[in-house]
Amino acid sequence: MTYREKLKQADREARAAIIGLVVTIVVWALLGFGVAQTGIVVFSTPLWVITGCIGTFVCAIVVAIVMAKVVMKDVGFDEDLVSEGEEAKDAR
Amino acid sequence: MQGNLFALIPVILFLVFSLGVAVYVRMRASRGAKGFVSEYFIGSRSMGGFVLAMTTIATYGSVSSFVGGPGQAWLVGWGWVYMATVQVTALFLLFGIMGKKMALVSRKIGAVTVIDVIRARYRSDAVANISAVIIVLFFIAMMVAQFVGGAKLFEAVTGYSYVVGLALFGIVVIIYTTVGGFRGVAITDAICGIAMIVGIVVLAAGILSAGGGFENIMQNIASSNPEMMEPFGGGQMPLGLYITQWLLVGVLTFCLPQSVVRCMGFKDEKSLKNAMVTGTIIIGIMMICVTALGVLAKGVLPGELADYGASVDNIIPQAIISTLPTWLAGIAIIGPIAASISTVSSLLISSSSSIIKDVYLHYHTKRGNDAGDAKIARLTQAFTLFVGALVFVLSIVPPDVIWKINMFAFGGLETGFCWVLVCGLYSKRAHAWGALASMTGGVVVYCAMMAIGFKPFGLHQIVAGISIAFVLMLVGSWLGNRHDEKQGKVAESDEVFFPA
Repeated sequence: MTYREKLKQADREARAAIIGLVVTIVVWALLGFGVAQTGIVVFSTPLWVITGCIGTFVCAIVVAIVMAKVVMKDVGFDEDLVSEGEEAKDAR
Repeated sequence: MQGNLFALIPVILFLVFSLGVAVYVRMRASRGAKGFVSEYFIGSRSMGGFVLAMTTIATYGSVSSFVGGPGQAWLVGWGWVYMATVQVTALFLLFGIMGKKMALVSRKIGAVTVIDVIRARYRSDAVANISAVIIVLFFIAMMVAQFVGGAKLFEAVTGYSYVVGLALFGIVVIIYTTVGGFRGVAITDAICGIAMIVGIVVLAAGILSAGGGFENIMQNIASSNPEMMEPFGGGQMPLGLYITQWLLVGVLTFCLPQSVVRCMGFKDEKSLKNAMVTGTIIIGIMMICVTALGVLAKGVLPGELADYGASVDNIIPQAIISTLPTWLAGIAIIGPIAASISTVSSLLISSSSSIIKDVYLHYHTKRGNDAGDAKIARLTQAFTLFVGALVFVLSIVPPDVIWKINMFAFGGLETGFCWVLVCGLYSKRAHAWGALASMTGGVVVYCAMMAIGFKPFGLHQIVAGISIAFVLMLVGSWLGNRHDEKQGKVAESDEVFFPA
């Protein structure tokens, strides 16, 4: 894989993270503000508290797993390593 | 006030252990180290997944997460917990947006700091130097806030004076950061992260048993303060607050320099993937639970705010004292103290790198004066010690509101770095002029609005700050690119950031 292709892969991962964020925001709003409309209470706790917090949390975990297992591809870092600690400009 | 030795022992044991581990890993690593700068500032890029996740969380989770946040939740109710849940996005955003890009780019150019990357991208010393100034100023403010928060809590719970607390963990963290470098910081952060979870569990047990169990507490709150059960908290938690908190502690945290630098220090891609999943799980458990404890504390501290010294910062210390026996209270406060020192250590090492590596060393290397490794090592450690001591002295006479300073600094750093990093890494058109305008203009406007208390549309100043910073990035880059074209400068192809 060329360095250019590796950067393209990084761009894809960044886009996926943004999509993950949008999904999480929508889920958060539906499971919190949305569920609050129903007024359901379980274990003396309003249902929106459980779904809005734990539900959103589960959604974020799913996003993280999808990112790690599906979106992220190993590109190999080491062949791009220049000697450590050198000034940035010298490496250009 | 008489101090209680039993509450002190667990804290001292924890601090001594952290110090020992930091010194040990640094000693071991320095035997085979390739060069001082890379080892001291980025730990020779050796972090595995678990340490990467924990150090990022411990740096991000501060004493405000343990004191100010739950205190607000005690006041407002479940709406505050629902809001705090936005923090579950922090790690997948950081590792998703910055993870691979920073790993690739920093290896390509041998960068060990975020400013190295900014300098290389914009080819501008001015942008790099202003970045260093912004980082150091906001970091010092945040470090003071951490010290003050930790020491106040220490005083309230153990009965020993504020200065004793500050001296105890302040000196320990300054020493282990100075000696341990980034590697020491990362490993102690991981220990602190575990201590934070232990602290939460102990306090949860205390509150739940003192309040007669979860359902009992919930029923009491529902009858005495029914508005705490609503998402808008009876008007205390307006939608605008949700939106700004989403930005401040959720969406924009991926561009905080102290988080981004962690994306340059991990070992391989497996570490990144592991950290993304493990980190999201741990940050969710930690932030949701600790904030929920604030609400549940209402079950054991049912009075009005005025009954508890009229400050929400007193709620968690009060809850610890009133629900736990002394020796357990000593274990419970390790959580917030760990949160405090793990944030300070990371900010301290980054401040030091900004001045020594990014300003001083760069200046000398450019002029061809190569200082020897031993000299750089002495200088760097002396400077780390100096900044630590400065923060320590500033904390002795503390400013008033802890969590507000922390939020203020979060907003300032996000305003300063968001577009400089995002546009710099992802758009060819981003120009040094845009970066300069965005960074300085955004931060100046944000701080000015904060100072005079001006909130456009009633929203926190971060909204205006980040919007203005974006516009300035666009306008500045457009002008800069036009200027270059007029001068007949053909845009050079950039082999590092945008290879053809």
